[in-house]
Amino acid sequence: MELKMNTLTKEFQTLRAVNGISYTMHNGVYGLLGVNGAGKTTLMRMLCTLMKPDSGSITWNGVDIFKLDGEYRKLLGYLPQEFGFYPEFSVYDYLMYIASIKGLRPTTAKKRIETLLSQVGMSKARNKKMKKLSGGMKRRVGIAQAMLNDPKILILDEPTAGLDPNERIRFRNLISELSEDRMVLLSTHIVSDIEYIANEILLMKDGSLTLSGTAEEIIASIPEKIWNCTVFKSEISNYMKQYKISNIKTVADGAQLRVISLESPCEHAVLESATLEDAFLYYFGEKAEVNEYDAEI
Amino acid sequence: MMLKYEIKKVFSRTGGKISLFLLVFLLLLTCYFATSISYVNEKGESENGYRAVQKLRQAKKEWAGLLDDEKLRAVLTENARINAMPEGQAENNVTLSNITYGRKQGFSDISSLISHAFADGFREYDYYKADSLCAEQAGNFYPNRIRLLRDWLYDEAKDQFSETEKTWIIAQYEALETPYIYDYSDGWQQLFEFSPTIIMITMLVLGYLVSGIFSNEFSLKADSVFYSSVYGRNKAVSAKVKAGICITTTLYFIMILLYTVIVLLYLGADSMNHPIQISWKNWKTFYNLTFGQEYLLIVMGGYIGCLFISLLTMFISAKTKSSILAVIVPFILVFLPSFVSFFQSSVVNKILGLLPDRLLQISTAINYFDLYSIGQTVVPAIPILFLLYGILSIALMPVIYLEYKQKQLG
Repeated sequence: MELKMNTLTKEFQTLRAVNGISYTMHNGVYGLLGVNGAGKTTLMRMLCTLMKPDSGSITWNGVDIFKLDGEYRKLLGYLPQEFGFYPEFSVYDYLMYIASIKGLRPTTAKKRIETLLSQVGMSKARNKKMKKLSGGMKRRVGIAQAMLNDPKILILDEPTAGLDPNERIRFRNLISELSEDRMVLLSTHIVSDIEYIANEILLMKDGSLTLSGTAEEIIASIPEKIWNCTVFKSEISNYMKQYKISNIKTVADGAQLRVISLESPCEHAVLESATLEDAFLYYFGEKAEVNEYDAEI
Repeated sequence: MMLKYEIKKVFSRTGGKISLFLLVFLLLLTCYFATSISYVNEKGESENGYRAVQKLRQAKKEWAGLLDDEKLRAVLTENARINAMPEGQAENNVTLSNITYGRKQGFSDISSLISHAFADGFREYDYYKADSLCAEQAGNFYPNRIRLLRDWLYDEAKDQFSETEKTWIIAQYEALETPYIYDYSDGWQQLFEFSPTIIMITMLVLGYLVSGIFSNEFSLKADSVFYSSVYGRNKAVSAKVKAGICITTTLYFIMILLYTVIVLLYLGADSMNHPIQISWKNWKTFYNLTFGQEYLLIVMGGYIGCLFISLLTMFISAKTKSSILAVIVPFILVFLPSFVSFFQSSVVNKILGLLPDRLLQISTAINYFDLYSIGQTVVPAIPILFLLYGILSIALMPVIYLEYKQKQLG
């Protein structure tokens, strides 16, 4: 099983959303990490045959996915960033409809829906109208619909967007559970979503893949060091101008900063081991959802 | 299963449910107006309701049979006898006039035909014409129909039709078998009178219902999941086209069936096999049909018109991804010709005669002298409309399918 992107490019008027990406994926979980507007969604939509690339190609086991057409989509499960549904449908009806357009026979669909509803913890809400579901419940139905055809390729675009920390952890565990024997591509701008479940992390910036590897490899690739130092509150802004700060924590006598720098930023700075969050900040030059990160650790 | 859920999508929406209630309400309202027939009793008072219908039917049935010279003479004689009565002599007295009218109700249809046949011109109508005729003139009843037409064609309308067309119209008039067989036909007449209303109402509601079949995937942001599914670019798209056709066909025939059953059960279906020319409204038509045949023409014409407009609405919905733009289409097609018809010209009339709104109002179109010549062959508008929009409807189906199937998502 091999999904291969060959110099994939997509432009929207003057914006080059995807810029010559080449990459090959096999079984496992791939975390696509990048800031908003990096081109993650465009890349995923091309992988789902929703839009054609301007140049380059995507092949599945050597055959162009647009030529494979339905044969390729049979292997595909997709949860879009903006997950739309039919508001008046019950959860069960919605899944039955999606099962029908995914080519499942009614008897197979019924069994599969029961299994998935139980797996995503939605069995009791099966008769609830889609419009009455909470954000987290909708996402769970979203992942259930993506899994209906037991896809070999599962593409999840920002699946945890808008979820509270508890839901996010639950969702992360669910994806990890579902990732066995398939290729999962999960995009996010929240580092903790993929830190523990992705076998391979792809960093995407301005339409290009800037780096890829395991979490450890990406962390190890940072050429600078991580320092922990306590400073007066009045000094924070000076440090922020001078260094990339990956975290600020208020303490009794000032603020504890997590600084990315080659050299010690202050006298009593303590050397710390780097995290993926630090790598994200280093490569993208901005902090990644620190508040949410704090909430989980 | 896809088809079932596509239909469910349409009717699960609040708008879909409201449309159905509205349709039922408007159906009942139209039936109420269509069955509102009054009977004037011997006191000159109007009676309404089912009993009044039965009385009127009974009165007209007394004049049923071959509408030959003898029958026409009898009508003229009876008309003169009633006029000679004291109530018939009274002028400016509403009650007495009503009593006189009540006495003439039984042969009022035949009187109306006489008013047409003995009018001063083809486009004239003199309500009181029977009052000025004597029984001996009855023999001119049928020849007058053709004479008035001929005079009109070669005088007032001489530039409106080619020589071939004139000959064709006269031949149609001459081909109609005479004498007619007269019978009570108010059931069919009322059914036809309000058929454009019921068909247009159905069309507008259908337009609204099908307008979202394609575009709602986008407005609900459900398009990504739809197109990334195995059938998203083939069977699921054809299920949408089928859903539109299925909704149009089912709702249309349910509406027509209910309308027909209610009106005809109430007013009666007499005269099904009699020529439509026994109704004063169809006296001039060159379509030689029976009431039963006209009914089939109205039903099938309405269906082809509704199907075409539904498919066009779906096409615009698929093309523009907008339900609002799509839902405007039926309104334009139904109401625009009424505004354009103010610009009277033969070219405009020729175009108007072939617009799909005509299919929704066959009972009216049947009285228009819309003819089209291809070489020496003259074809009236209605067969052309059936053929044209039948073909266009069939052609639109794959066009919609291909349009939606190939959509690229932004």
